[in-house]
Amino acid sequence: MAQAAPKAQLGFLGVVNLAGTGFVGGLLVTNQLGRPLEFQCTTPVKPNRTQEILYGPTLTSFVCAELIGKTLFERLQVKPQLIVCDQPEMLALRSVISLPVALILPKSSPPVEGTIRAGAHQLQLHADFMSDLEVVTEIAKSFPGDADLIEPVERVREALQETLRAGAAA
Amino acid sequence: MSGFRESELNSRIGIHHGGTEARSSDSGARLPAGHSESDDDTTLTVGLTDLMAQQEPAASAMPLTGLVPSVPPCLRGESSSSEILTNSAALSLAAPGIHITGMNSALKRVPSISAEAKALLNSVGFVPSWRPAWGKVRTFGLTFPAGIELIPVKPPEGTVEEDTSALKRIAPEKPPHEETAGGEAAKRTKIRPPLDALSVQDRLFFLLQPPLENWLKGQELIMPFEPFQYQYEGIGWLFSQKAALLADEMGLGKTMQMITALRLLLRAGQVRRVLLVCPKPLIPNWQREFKTWAEEIPVTTVEGDGFRRNLTWRMPGAHVLLANYEVVVRDYQAMITEAIKNGHNIRDGLGRNTDVECRTYIDGEPTAPDNLSQPEATCPLPQFDLVVLDEAQRTKNRDSLTAKMIRSIPRRRSVCMTGTPIENRPEEMSSLFEFMGVIPPGANPDIRQLSALSKEFILRRTKDLVMKDMPPRLDREEIIELSPAQRVAYDAAEKEGIMKLNDLGDELSIQNVFELVLRLKQISNYDPLTQESSKLERLQADMEEIAASGGKAILFSQWTKTIDWLEERMRPYGCLVYHGGIPTPKREPILTKFKNDPDSHIILMSYGTGAVGLNLQFAGYVFLYDRWWNPAVEDQAINRAHRIGCKSQVIVSKFICKDTIEERIDKVLNEKRDMFHRVLGEGDNTNASLSLSAGEIFGLFNMKARTAKGNKSIRPATPAKEAA
Repeated sequence: MAQAAPKAQLGFLGVVNLAGTGFVGGLLVTNQLGRPLEFQCTTPVKPNRTQEILYGPTLTSFVCAELIGKTLFERLQVKPQLIVCDQPEMLALRSVISLPVALILPKSSPPVEGTIRAGAHQLQLHADFMSDLEVVTEIAKSFPGDADLIEPVERVREALQETLRAGAAA
Repeated sequence: MSGFRESELNSRIGIHHGGTEARSSDSGARLPAGHSESDDDTTLTVGLTDLMAQQEPAASAMPLTGLVPSVPPCLRGESSSSEILTNSAALSLAAPGIHITGMNSALKRVPSISAEAKALLNSVGFVPSWRPAWGKVRTFGLTFPAGIELIPVKPPEGTVEEDTSALKRIAPEKPPHEETAGGEAAKRTKIRPPLDALSVQDRLFFLLQPPLENWLKGQELIMPFEPFQYQYEGIGWLFSQKAALLADEMGLGKTMQMITALRLLLRAGQVRRVLLVCPKPLIPNWQREFKTWAEEIPVTTVEGDGFRRNLTWRMPGAHVLLANYEVVVRDYQAMITEAIKNGHNIRDGLGRNTDVECRTYIDGEPTAPDNLSQPEATCPLPQFDLVVLDEAQRTKNRDSLTAKMIRSIPRRRSVCMTGTPIENRPEEMSSLFEFMGVIPPGANPDIRQLSALSKEFILRRTKDLVMKDMPPRLDREEIIELSPAQRVAYDAAEKEGIMKLNDLGDELSIQNVFELVLRLKQISNYDPLTQESSKLERLQADMEEIAASGGKAILFSQWTKTIDWLEERMRPYGCLVYHGGIPTPKREPILTKFKNDPDSHIILMSYGTGAVGLNLQFAGYVFLYDRWWNPAVEDQAINRAHRIGCKSQVIVSKFICKDTIEERIDKVLNEKRDMFHRVLGEGDNTNASLSLSAGEIFGLFNMKARTAKGNKSIRPATPAKEAA
């Protein structure tokens, strides 16, 4: 009989940037076993030319983290204990919310100091918020050893594609 | 104006700076507007006062000649004569330095112009034309309902806890091409939205569910065995469908797929109350399967006297109720009668058709209240989120009481399970589709429409398609010569029977012919007079070998009388008997003994009781001592042994006596097998189940049907009815 794992709620943030449509983001909250609890997604956010020029290389990070990520987090009815993303630009979300945000590193990444083992992956924290290390380490203990943290983000992206298809059909 | 001496001037000239005209303030004489205009009247001031000040001395010294007014002579004292006296007097008149004409010659001078700096009225400021403002980000969201929390079952004290970190494999190892370079399993079974899920929230609900492999692995009670890939697909399909007919060939694990789908539906909060209806003999089988595959789900069997059953039907905490068809029909009939007496309007059980249970949000605000279950008080009948019919062919006659009562059960989802969705005619599926709510009540879709509905609502896999690595089933038609005594008895019975039929003339009915067929089939099994049986001899010969090798065999017969007759003769092989005459509580121990007792080599079963729902995959031999009217029922019987988990090939021996009615029936049925393939598609070679029409029955004796209703199908009671 498997022992009941301690309960944890995780947020998986995914953003897609579609040419001509803009940035669309989704945040899926699951329990530690991957079962969905809540999903929030945005309508497309399309920067204009002035914004592209003035924000320059910081545009993606600003849109993904401060615009989309923050809005989605504020809309959540079920608050997670940790938000996981797979794009480095999204780590900036940590500076605008009071919750640990972790970046999933590729499986092939060697273990380095400051990263946390979670399931089959390693998590990297925002450099300015290394104080989250202890909390995230504790949360990561609730993951099954072979937990695939990338898979829920793929679910988010698939769901975003579905909402865009539905929006186009409407 | 500095320097301007007003007392010495008779008039003055004022220039209004900043205006559009200049005028003499006293005389009102106007200067041309353009005269006072200046390109820079705010920074330059023309000093006209200085100019006038410079003119003054010249004007005061100017002679007055021509300026003295003329005086009339009378006033000057002069006579009016021609001599005119004149006096000169010096006139000192203070006159302004202005010509009498008003022109000031000083104006001819070039004016001196000076400039001085003046401060601007407002300071210069920076007003940006762009601000980093972004529009409001709109959001859409949904929350998933909390599933039922089931308490994991603790192992008995003293037992060693097994390592459940990995599933036990019953499925073969995945071939290398399914692995990615990184070693990650590429194959994931995603739950796909059903075709009738149109709203985005319905589709997202299914798309956001985890892959089944991950989901099942992460349950508090993990799967005892890892399912095959096609079983994962079946579980996902059952999870997403509101109306479904799982028609996998016998032995492919329909029960396990259904239980696992139930488990996930309960945990996902999509169902809270489930009714599972099955034939009575299969109740213990379902209980056992639940214990194996979903130990944490409590199953309540509806049984006992009426009072107890009534309590059970309405027991609020029961998530899964298990009932047999007869109990359901009896109790719902009584409850409906009572409800009508009390003035309730009883309609079809599919009163409403809700989508998935979830709550949606736009910009964080809920769009509507969730569609949770209807309050029990408004419905006089026990209602369920899901009703599952096992061996659903029991309701194939849509006008039967069973079908009507089953359809009256209030429910949101309907699932049928059967290995033989068509036993006789494609139209039988209409009754199942009506229960599932995919066709209107009483509708009769044609074969083309049935085929289209089948693609959407039926999932059927055959062993040929999915179990390529399963040990083969070897069918052998044992053509047996009757023993001499049997032949005499058989020929006499046939001759006598045909004579009687002919003597009946126009009163000949199909029932008369049918009775003769049964009589001849019984003689083919054994001669009641001499007890001779060539089939028995063949069976004994085979059993010698099977027993010697430690194998186990299942024997099926249509008649309990034949089974009882064989029991005595099969005692040397540890014979066990399992048919409708055995009380239900005694049946399970018989199966257990057959499985575990090494001296028990054969079990004798009736088609009705033993053909459905039993797992006897440890038996490597199946004997069909006599043939059922319907090949589908025979297949069900054979698949008790040839199913998932069987370790070696299964040898099926079908006894057919040469030059008898058995051979003729077998020939007719074989010729009709291809007729039904169109409905359920290619690759399905086992569902061609049919019975004989009246014309075909008469044809067995080279006779023609005597009634107008010659196409009426005849056959004995179905095995399931016998079993019940």
